[in-house]
Amino acid sequence: MTVAFVVLAALTLLAGLGVVLSRHVVHSALFMAASFLGVAGFFVMLNAPVLAGFQVLIYVGAVTVLVLFAIMFTQRPQARSFRLILQRQHVPGLLAALGLGVFLAYVLAIQDWGEVSPGQGPRAVEDFGALLLGAGEYPDVFALLFQLGAVILLIATIAAIVISRRRREEDEL
Amino acid sequence: MIPLEAYLVVGALLFAIGTYGALVRRNAVVVFMCVELMLNSVNLTLVSFADYLPGAMGAGAGYAILIIAVAAAEVAVGLAIVLAVFRARRTVNVDEINLMKR
Repeated sequence: MTVAFVVLAALTLLAGLGVVLSRHVVHSALFMAASFLGVAGFFVMLNAPVLAGFQVLIYVGAVTVLVLFAIMFTQRPQARSFRLILQRQHVPGLLAALGLGVFLAYVLAIQDWGEVSPGQGPRAVEDFGALLLGAGEYPDVFALLFQLGAVILLIATIAAIVISRRRREEDEL
Repeated sequence: MIPLEAYLVVGALLFAIGTYGALVRRNAVVVFMCVELMLNSVNLTLVSFADYLPGAMGAGAGYAILIIAVAAAEVAVGLAIVLAVFRARRTVNVDEINLMKR
């Protein structure tokens, strides 16, 4: 268990650093997929295999492919030097991110969470579906949020088509 | 048994890495990837709360599903915007895109 945790944490965090620091954009996308896979492994360790499946399907599958498509459409000659991929404010950015990470980790680590033990969440797919629809003893608000999520996905699909459509006057440019 | 704090610290560090990338990278597509990393770290935190806290009744897992749906919508619209900007400007570097008109 501990070995799996250390391996997954190293995979997730090092791949996350790879996303930020790799010079090639395609490498960043592949590092991102590796980091998502690490998070999926954490979901399995946290007794949420359904979420791990969703994570692999949606993030490792769909989002990575979408990002790779975007990279292919917007490809330009790659930056040769490392400094060219960073903005001018990279030192303040590093300081801000370090401060945020230390602050969050400190606050979350010293907080007293009371009596905690693993294995409290809905493990079975059936419980998970009941949770998402707000059925049974689960809070009602999830039924509303579920429907709102469906509407958001529909609007996002239409918006993506409308925004990225090639207009006639742009063809003439 | 792995303590809850270990998962939370990993989530916090992943969030900080995503913040760093979103702040310092120039390529807009990479900025999107870093935002996805941040959303993933929040998902990790929520699911670990759902698994460890007895009073939560697994609500964190439900919120994680909603975050996944909203993140998918966000990445679809965001990459469409990046494509539209690239068509108009021939660049996706966020420090060169500083005008909203053409």
